[in-house]
Amino acid sequence: MATKDEILEVLKGVIDPEIGLNIVDLGLVYAVEITGNEISVTMTLTTPGCPMHNSITTWVEKVITQLDKEASVKVNLVWEPRWTPDLMTFDAKRELGY
Amino acid sequence: MQQESLVSAYAPPFKIVLKYFFAAILSFIILNFLLMLNYSDIQGFHFQPMILALTHIATLGWITMMIFGAMFQLVPVVLEVKLFSEKLAEIQFWIFLIGIIGLVTGFWNFDTGIHLTASAIVLNIAVLIFSFNILATMAKVKKWNIMGMYLAAAIFYLITTAFAGLLLSINLGFPFIKISHLQYLNLHAHVAFVGWVSMVIMGVSFKLIPMFTLAHDYSVKSGTIAFWLINLGLLGISSVMHFENLTLYFYISAALIATGIFFFLFQMYVIFKKRMRKKADVSIKFSKLAYTLLAISAMFGLLITFTNIANEMNVTLIYGYLIIFGYISMLIVGQMYKIMPFLVWYHKYSSKVGMEPVPMLKDMFKEKFAEAGYYFMITALAGVIFSFAFQIQMGLLISFGTMLLASIIFLYNFLYILLKA
Repeated sequence: MATKDEILEVLKGVIDPEIGLNIVDLGLVYAVEITGNEISVTMTLTTPGCPMHNSITTWVEKVITQLDKEASVKVNLVWEPRWTPDLMTFDAKRELGY
Repeated sequence: MQQESLVSAYAPPFKIVLKYFFAAILSFIILNFLLMLNYSDIQGFHFQPMILALTHIATLGWITMMIFGAMFQLVPVVLEVKLFSEKLAEIQFWIFLIGIIGLVTGFWNFDTGIHLTASAIVLNIAVLIFSFNILATMAKVKKWNIMGMYLAAAIFYLITTAFAGLLLSINLGFPFIKISHLQYLNLHAHVAFVGWVSMVIMGVSFKLIPMFTLAHDYSVKSGTIAFWLINLGLLGISSVMHFENLTLYFYISAALIATGIFFFLFQMYVIFKKRMRKKADVSIKFSKLAYTLLAISAMFGLLITFTNIANEMNVTLIYGYLIIFGYISMLIVGQMYKIMPFLVWYHKYSSKVGMEPVPMLKDMFKEKFAEAGYYFMITALAGVIFSFAFQIQMGLLISFGTMLLASIIFLYNFLYILLKA
């Protein structure tokens, strides 16, 4: 069974190609919960109403399934609390010139 | 992540869009090359065979070809509907291309009559196919937004422009328009630039600029006011131009349009202020400059409307060059440096995310080259305007050459993104 840290590490492989940062450093991942065989990721996106959010959640599911083939992965996309730039890591903020 | 909204399951096949983009960039290079080659003949009043030919390479080959490609990509993705017909988009490309070649050669040799009119008819067919395809796509839209409003209006003006162009082409061979040909040409040009091109640019800006700068939580009030002011002004201009001596109404319409443009620019300012991404990359630099040049063009337009400055040597040429190579071309190049890398990245790498290292968008092209292109374009623009104003032929030659260099850099980066990335 994968640990939370291992999961967060693979989630760093899911990048926003435009910003050049991964979803973890951007502060988009709110929670990772492991209950038995189930791994659930609660996350948001920088802007609500993005028509392509499916592909982000697919990437998230894919990298976790690769890490732990037995797990059933669930991605909860939430808009509350809203993402703000304050959620980014220090390096991420610097990268954006924020 | 909002940049995903450039691509989705709704997007048409990449190769159709690519064909339009490629034809547009080639037209830009041909245009700059012909300007350089004929630099000594480009002066005086704008109503001359060669200048009409070159203007149409710019407006149809470079600008409209690019907009067609971009709209086939963006309309389905942003409005969340499938393109009505991909087949029509493909067929339309060839009809449009034939029409452009026909019209440009017709103007160049001043072969008025059947050659020019037949080409105008072919172009009208292409425009109608495009409009039908986009409107039929829009008919399925459930969620309208400000971008959709602007684009729908743009289609209306595209059809108006093409039809006015057809009437003008007939009039050159068989004069029948009662009012002056030049006045009608004025109508054709303004509906083209303010109605068709600028409505698209403004509509798309509302979507792309916040996306590229990470801006949200801003009001779109100014953008909506801009929409109504510009449209009111355009409808005014379109109707008063059919009559003589309606100067007062013309003044009012021109003032409405200019005010609308300033409201749009204020909207862009509001968005830029809310951006979370403070660092300006090359694409944003191009875009910011383009909006500044739009402000200058609008003021220049007011000056031409309310004074007699247009009678001075080369003033209409400066006005046209500023709009086409300044405001419009800078914006196209800037936006393409975002759109192309993303589209190619999406097709090549999106399935590999998390499985193997994938490049970032900024690694998809040589940003240094693009920056050089940016400075070449500014230098060329300033050089051409200065050389027109003071009638320095050598300056024109050098400046047209510099713009050619900038367009070649753009093509190089385009191919680099496509082939090497």
